[in-house]
Amino acid sequence: MFFEILSLSLILGSIFFFYECIGYLAHRDYAAAIILMFIGLAVISVAKEMARLALVKKD
Amino acid sequence: MPAGAWSRLGKWRTFADGVALVLGINVWVSVVLLPGSFVGAWADPAALTAALVPLPVLMLGLWRRSEAVLLAGFPSALLLPVALVPEMASAHVYGLLRFSIVAVGLVAYLMSASFFTSFHEPPPPTNVRPLSSSRQPVPPRWRRRFRIYLELTILAVVCPLVLIYFANFHHTNQAFMRTMFPGRVASMTTMLDLLVIALWLILYSYVFLGVLKPHRTGDRDLAGQLSRLRADARRGRPRPAFYVAMAVALGLMAILLWSRYF
Repeated sequence: MFFEILSLSLILGSIFFFYECIGYLAHRDYAAAIILMFIGLAVISVAKEMARLALVKKD
Repeated sequence: MPAGAWSRLGKWRTFADGVALVLGINVWVSVVLLPGSFVGAWADPAALTAALVPLPVLMLGLWRRSEAVLLAGFPSALLLPVALVPEMASAHVYGLLRFSIVAVGLVAYLMSASFFTSFHEPPPPTNVRPLSSSRQPVPPRWRRRFRIYLELTILAVVCPLVLIYFANFHHTNQAFMRTMFPGRVASMTTMLDLLVIALWLILYSYVFLGVLKPHRTGDRDLAGQLSRLRADARRGRPRPAFYVAMAVALGLMAILLWSRYF
């Protein structure tokens, strides 16, 4: 259960970064937007690893 | 095989080729011929030559009944004259109604070419004895698979159309393009269309089809991957990708904070 909650939280966190990325794009701050996009991708990769661990442990 | 079956198969294939030819010419007329006439592109001999290239490609695809030529070669050849005269693809040439009609024509051509070229099986035999399993209801896994095929088809139609619509017709995007690229809106919009198509192909290949690949090619790879995952889980530690992603996220956050506040 711990890994499921952690994974879900990280996915929601990555959505926050993508949302902020759109905000920076709207302000034409492209460098910050690209950095935020990669942060979002990295966080979603961490979430993916957590979800994988949760699934395999359940199995 | 009886002669009647061969005759039926020949007539069916001729009909299929005829439909693909008509729909292909319709796409050529609506994507190349009419827009080129509208912007006066045919005064340039190079553009005129490029405009004629898709026709032999279409004929070659029909003659060889080649999926690669009909589904990739012909649509790519349609872009040759557009690459030489980008104004052919600009928003003022395609109003919203005309864009919808051309989109329907293109989707009809792609679906018909894909559908008709997939008939590789032999014609039905003269005597048929139904299997006992054919009287059973369709298993859930096959219903699931048909649902996925339908969803992939809908995605392949809707997503590119929506992306191209927003790139070409959305008033905010067009106002932005006019501000950023005065005098070059047509060429930049055409390039944006190509980028949109490339982005969609990458997303479709790696995100949508990529996830289904283990199921499509059989379960052996998937079983091997699952056994590796179980071995990793027994160790109770995440894979190196976890640590790399964590380090990247923290490093980029530090860079962002440093660039904003120091």
